[in-house]
Amino acid sequence: MDLFLQTLLNGLLIGGVIATFSIAFQLTFGVLHVIDFAVGAWVVLGGYLAYYMAAFLGIDGFLVMPMAFVLFGAIGYLMGPMIYNVRNSRTARPELMALALTFGIFTLLRGGMLTVWGFNTHSVPTALSGHSIMIGPVTVPLIRVAAASFAVLIAGGLFFFLFRTRYGLAIRATAENRQNAALMGVNIRRLSANVYGLYAGITAMSGVLMGGIYSVNPEIGLRYTLFAFFVAVLAGLGSLGGALVAALLLGVIEAFVATYGGASYSHLAIFATLFLVLLVSPRGILRRGL
Amino acid sequence: MPKKDVSFSRRTFLGGSALALASGTISMPFVRTARAQAATFKAGVITSLSGENISGGNLTKNGYDLWAEAANEKGGVEVGGERFMVEMFYGDDQSNPATGADAAERLIVQNEVDFLLGPYTSGSTIAVQPICQKYQVPMISGSAESPNVWLAKPEFNFGIIPSVDTTSGQSLGVLAALSNPKAKTIAVIGVNEPFSKETGEGFQRGAKEAGLEVVAYELVPASGDLTPVMSKIAALNPDIVAVGGHEEPLINVIKTSKSLNYRPKALIMHYGVTNPAFAEALGADANGTSGVAVWLPTVPYKDDLFGTAQDYVARAQAKFGHEPDYTEAACSASGLVFADAAKRLGKKPSLTPEDRVALKDAIADTDITTFYGPIKFEKEGDHYHDNIQPVPVVIQIQDGKTVAVGPKEAAAAEFIYPLPSWK
Repeated sequence: MDLFLQTLLNGLLIGGVIATFSIAFQLTFGVLHVIDFAVGAWVVLGGYLAYYMAAFLGIDGFLVMPMAFVLFGAIGYLMGPMIYNVRNSRTARPELMALALTFGIFTLLRGGMLTVWGFNTHSVPTALSGHSIMIGPVTVPLIRVAAASFAVLIAGGLFFFLFRTRYGLAIRATAENRQNAALMGVNIRRLSANVYGLYAGITAMSGVLMGGIYSVNPEIGLRYTLFAFFVAVLAGLGSLGGALVAALLLGVIEAFVATYGGASYSHLAIFATLFLVLLVSPRGILRRGL
Repeated sequence: MPKKDVSFSRRTFLGGSALALASGTISMPFVRTARAQAATFKAGVITSLSGENISGGNLTKNGYDLWAEAANEKGGVEVGGERFMVEMFYGDDQSNPATGADAAERLIVQNEVDFLLGPYTSGSTIAVQPICQKYQVPMISGSAESPNVWLAKPEFNFGIIPSVDTTSGQSLGVLAALSNPKAKTIAVIGVNEPFSKETGEGFQRGAKEAGLEVVAYELVPASGDLTPVMSKIAALNPDIVAVGGHEEPLINVIKTSKSLNYRPKALIMHYGVTNPAFAEALGADANGTSGVAVWLPTVPYKDDLFGTAQDYVARAQAKFGHEPDYTEAACSASGLVFADAAKRLGKKPSLTPEDRVALKDAIADTDITTFYGPIKFEKEGDHYHDNIQPVPVVIQIQDGKTVAVGPKEAAAAEFIYPLPSWK
């Protein structure tokens, strides 16, 4: 029973961790209609920022998070128009062009990091790293709790922003029908840049947490890209609430299969779940995707 | 100020060109004669000089180059009382086995090398073996560690480092003997990719030989989260946890076990622990972690070319600015194997195809001791042509430094067992 409770908690926390970089990914798809392969690279860049801040200036990972948001938010804002232009170009199949573009950005960033920072693996120290508390028989790792709380906070914040503010209304209108939104006076180009900036900033912040929980090296970005994509498929592309539910579900499946079945089957179980969901409910588990 | 005229006249240009051309054509035969007179042994190095394995590739290149440099300082490799310089040729496998095979073919056909020095990765080594067989050129591998390299009984390939299934297994025997009170149970984790899985299997076999009860054997996907597995192992509470994997999962194992506040009495990992980046990434949390090395700078061996292991370390340190690891050492030792075989064979360069086959037989009969340790190749069995002589040394990170803790005759410090809890 103790192991069961621990496994359940492990699963929920893994889900929370995955959700941190999957939610904003969904937002980008919903608004820009781009599957951003570069998501993993933004995560890793955030991790590197935190690593260098800690190594040279001794700044704690949690304090780097606002910095990561501002820095990578600005970079994302500047890159937004480029992605928007490719996605809305008059060439044939602009959606595939955009996919290739983000894949190119991912490869470029990964190669750039490998060249500049080398291949060694680093770890981001935070105030909560390695600390845990006992609740009954269950060990609760605090940094993972922080990551899961961050995911819930981001999801809540985005919901509030999208459904309770005027700008959020404009974003939702753009996601629904770009032409009509433009006719209503929404500056689609600037809105897209803002959304991409918001996404890059949030994702880099989650990268700081990933560096604290796991480790940072240029090659691990692909892993985050894949998981963000798994979550997106399970949630239904573009569905924010679905992303949180899907990430938690994936985490719980991974934990239970690894503990009671064997860790080598955990990804098999994840793929089987994805396959079934695509077969039964192609618009995701909450049926709210595109 | 009047502008200075710098243009050539047509006559100067033609005259200059003719002179340049003439000097080129005339000097060429001299160059050729000079090379033909001083025969050299041509060594072909195939390794990863670009791509994801660039760092390991350069470790192997360092090791091979260090041998060539040391040998040439003495006038070259001795054959029949005469000395012949060593000339190095390089082929880049671009961290891709198929490209490695192409590079090997080019070294053999175009550069006409007398022998090959093998790649960093086992994958490339396996891809190059058929090329060695086809052209009958011996290859000495100073890095490949996978048991699969030797399973196919490669006639022309020889390995200096004992394959990982022998070292990881033996190290558990050493660990069990050192533990007090004696360890009884073990859990093995292997990352689910070729090298790490073989290491995990080696640990599993070694555990049985050492009389340890294996309470869990878990293969984890490289991108999987380790909390479920660590929680499961924590519930089983084995004395030893052994992990096969590269650097990044090893770091994650320690971070995860600390976040779950679980620490086994001993934690042993293969590969990556001796890399300074491991201790750097984990800081004080790395302390207490054990690992396996087949060579350490403190070993008591020596040879005529490099002197003692400590002399070798000083030479490498001066040239590369860091303490050499066992891969660099094994690569340098590969050159010693060639020099010894060439001396016994007594054939001067360049070697004919028949000479190269005879060289292969001479290498197979190697029985020498170098700064790296004893070298003798297996002549049958699953480790055919692998040098399984070196006894793996169990190391432990203590105060951020790698120190040998076992077997007893190699120990430089006391083995810390059981490890203190995280809190």
